Amino acid sequence: MPIEKMIPLMLGGVKDTLYMTSISTLFAYLLGFPLAILLVLTAPSGLSPKPLVYRVLDAVVNIFRSIPFLILMILVIPLTRLIAGKAYGSTATIVPLVIAAAPYVARMIESSLLEVDPGVIEAAQSMGASIPTIIFKVLIPEAKTSLIVGATISSGTILGYSAMSGAIGGGGLGQIAISYGYNRYQTDVLIVTVVLLIILMQIIQIVGMYISRKTDKRIRE
Amino acid sequence: MPLIELKHLTKTFKGKTQTVEALRDVSLSINQGDIYGIIGMSGAGKSTLVRCINFLERPTSGSVVIDGKDLAALSGKELRQLRQQVSMIFQHFNLLQQRDVRGNIAFAMEIAGMKRAQIDKRIDELLEIVGLTERQHNYPSQLSGGQQQRVAIARALSTNPKIILCDEATSALDPTTTTSILNLLRDINRKLGITIVIITHEMSVVESICTHVAIIDDGLLAESGTVESVFSQPKSVAAKKLIFRTIGADSGTLGERLIRIVFEGNTSNEPIIADLVMQCHVQVNILYADTRDVGGKAYGYMILQLPEDRLQQEKVIYYLKTRNLRVEEEDASHAH
Repeated sequence: MPIEKMIPLMLGGVKDTLYMTSISTLFAYLLGFPLAILLVLTAPSGLSPKPLVYRVLDAVVNIFRSIPFLILMILVIPLTRLIAGKAYGSTATIVPLVIAAAPYVARMIESSLLEVDPGVIEAAQSMGASIPTIIFKVLIPEAKTSLIVGATISSGTILGYSAMSGAIGGGGLGQIAISYGYNRYQTDVLIVTVVLLIILMQIIQIVGMYISRKTDKRIRE
Repeated sequence: MPLIELKHLTKTFKGKTQTVEALRDVSLSINQGDIYGIIGMSGAGKSTLVRCINFLERPTSGSVVIDGKDLAALSGKELRQLRQQVSMIFQHFNLLQQRDVRGNIAFAMEIAGMKRAQIDKRIDELLEIVGLTERQHNYPSQLSGGQQQRVAIARALSTNPKIILCDEATSALDPTTTTSILNLLRDINRKLGITIVIITHEMSVVESICTHVAIIDDGLLAESGTVESVFSQPKSVAAKKLIFRTIGADSGTLGERLIRIVFEGNTSNEPIIADLVMQCHVQVNILYADTRDVGGKAYGYMILQLPEDRLQQEKVIYYLKTRNLRVEEEDASHAH
């Protein structure tokens, strides 16, 4: 493909990919964060153990996480149509991306919150802290570094999913790679999309790790 | 009326395969102004006991009454308010790693709903008390263990509590730092009149600052009373075991006659053993000695290995008795 065609095509692809990834990550966090907090609180060793609630949430998260993303995309087509009006393109892809990513994000957040030293939580309790106080003043701030690392990994995974969605009507770089590189044997296009995806992933990773290191007060200066 | 009253406390932990009785019918009264040591071997139930005092652990049965309030009768909110009056410090300090010294001290006051300006002013006072003004903008990872425990003490003091519970607060510290932290706690007790409950497995902690002691063994209260009475004349097996725990670990003198001399208050400043050796012309071997100053009075005990000769043994015992010391036969097996 000539370069003057390649550049606008790739720019559009990068824009769409970033759009899908960022909006999906945002919504996945809006769903995943409360879910993670509920999991942590209701767990048998949590601050407010509720075995039944925990078991149900735990099972739902596991079920959604065990469905392969491409299959999930197909399964939720009716819902996608309902929300986005159509089942193809970048905006429509956000629906299955969020559904696939939210349980994943919830697990990432849950594991970050569980890393918080139980001794510090006990200290807060001994001072008379309520559960909301413990969540917002202990759990989240103490887990901050780990949460940022988790967000980095999660958005990287969502970037990967968004590229995969190109196989069945999603937009962005993944769609370009499949329709030009795979269906029309344009290897140069395929290679450029792969390189761009690698660069995007690197940027996410480097920025995420930089922020987490910068904000971590546990490291001696 | 005692400030803290524990009545017939039991606590049972039910596991999948076994139930553990961490506390069995423990009753204890702690008065305003006491420094009350609770000592026991690890696993004896003392950590559970201290957590029952602020209801971090709810007792299976029995009651906890603090300042006239039965904790079991309080609502969640009332209990949280009461906990602002009962501070706690921990073996591993349990500071917020992502907040600096000021932020950590502020935390308890934020929970208590104090105003920012008030909090800042109080932090300055507390930094002064614990001697960390120069470290106020450091994070816990930049502080030594002793400094971290001082931050925890400042945090514990911030809400003007009536009681401070210390859960093995010096067990992670070296001896010098331990002494300085214990001195700080004693100052707090004397100057502010705060009642202090200290959980420990170290006799030295109890000896150096406690006024009272309770010995917990296998979930049971073995013995309690003033430090002087319990240490000079331990009655229970558990108390004797704790007090003699460090004796004769590698002595290799078993099978020979041992005696225990008890110093009760007035005689431990005199060179008793030197006098004994010079006046009786005998050789004795000091296997173990623990004589020190507790609460202004000197007391302690010593374990002596006596000479082979029966007559000489009696001479030593007679001499010691004339010096008004209590002499007891020491069973060598006791030492273990």
